[in-house]
Amino acid sequence: MADTIWGNGSEVLSADSFVLEVTHRKNGNRDNYSETEKITIVSADLPGMPHNRGDWTVESLKACVINAFLKCEVDRRDGNGTILGKVSHSGAGGY
Amino acid sequence: MWEPSVVDRAGAGLERLISGETPMIIIRNFYDARACQKAADKIKRRARHKSRSGNLRHVGPFLMAYTTDKAKYFRDAARAARIFEEIFYGADNPIPRIHGAVGDMLPGYSVLPARELAHSYSPAVIRIHEKGSLVPLHKDNVRYEGCEYAVSDIDHQISCVLHLQESEGGGDLVMYRRRWEVADERFRNIDFGYSPDLIGSSRSCRAPGICAGDLVIINPCHYHQVTRITGDSPRITLGIFFGIYSQDRRIVAWA
Repeated sequence: MADTIWGNGSEVLSADSFVLEVTHRKNGNRDNYSETEKITIVSADLPGMPHNRGDWTVESLKACVINAFLKCEVDRRDGNGTILGKVSHSGAGGY
Repeated sequence: MWEPSVVDRAGAGLERLISGETPMIIIRNFYDARACQKAADKIKRRARHKSRSGNLRHVGPFLMAYTTDKAKYFRDAARAARIFEEIFYGADNPIPRIHGAVGDMLPGYSVLPARELAHSYSPAVIRIHEKGSLVPLHKDNVRYEGCEYAVSDIDHQISCVLHLQESEGGGDLVMYRRRWEVADERFRNIDFGYSPDLIGSSRSCRAPGICAGDLVIINPCHYHQVTRITGDSPRITLGIFFGIYSQDRRIVAWA
C-alpha cells in the first residue's frame, strides 16, 4: 500500500507541481512527512483539471489546488526530496 | 432568533433562505403519507436486492460522487430516470411536484430538469440511512466541487429533501448559520465533511418534528449535518438540488 498524506494546496510551482500543507498522514505510512511537502503530480483526479496532461498550465493547477483539500498517494521521492504521487480532490464524493 | 419557516404550502420566502436569514423552510404534509409508505416499501425492497451488489445506501446517482467522471454520471443518470418512474409508478410522482413548489416560491422563474448538451442530469437521489449512520457536518456547493459541470455557473443553490420515512430516533437535520468559504477547507475531514471546530459558537437550528411527507428546503451552502440514526427503521429521503440563474430568471434541477 502506498503512503498517503492529505492537506491543503498552497503555492503552485509549475504546471504539475505545488506545495501541500500536510494536515493528515495515514497510519502505517513507511516514510515521515513534514508540515509542507513539494509534490510533483504523476497522475491527477482533480475536478476542473484538464484531462489531457498536455493542457495543464500553472493557472489551471492554481484553480484546482490552491486551498483545496487534497489526497496524495505517494509513489516515491526524487533526489531533491520532492514527492511524486497521484493527487486527488479528497472527499468530494458526498453523502 | 433564527427559526425555520413552517408552512402548509409553497409561498414566498426563498430569498430569505438564500440570504441565510431563514435556516430552512418546511412544507408540512407536502406528499401524501400513504404514498410515502408505498414508495418507502418499494425502495427498501429495491435496496435489499441491490445490497447484493454493494449498493445499499442510494438509489440514483448524485453528481458529487462523479466530480471527474461526467460520462459515467450521465450514463447512470439516464438509468436512474427509469428507476424513479418504476418507484413512483401508479402514484403521484413527487419530483415534478417539488419542481412546481420551487417555482411557486419564485414567481416568474421557469423550472426545468438540468441538461447539458444531449444529456439529462439525475432527477433526484434517494438516500437510505440505516441505524447507526449519520451525515457529518458539511456543505453542498456545486459551484466549487462540480466545476466540470454546466450547472456550476448558477448564482444560487438550494436543496429540497422530501422525507419518505423517518427513523424512530435520531436523523435530525441541524443547520448552522455559517456559510462555507474556501478558507474552511483547512478544517476538512479526510473522507467527507468538516471538523466540528469550524462551527464554534455559530447559531444553529434543528428541524422540528419532521414527519414522512414533509418537504424541507435549505440553503446547502450553509453548514449542516444529520444526527446519528438511533431507531431501527431507516431514514429514507428523496433529494433534489435547484440552481437559480437570477438574471435569466430560470431554475434548473438535478441531483
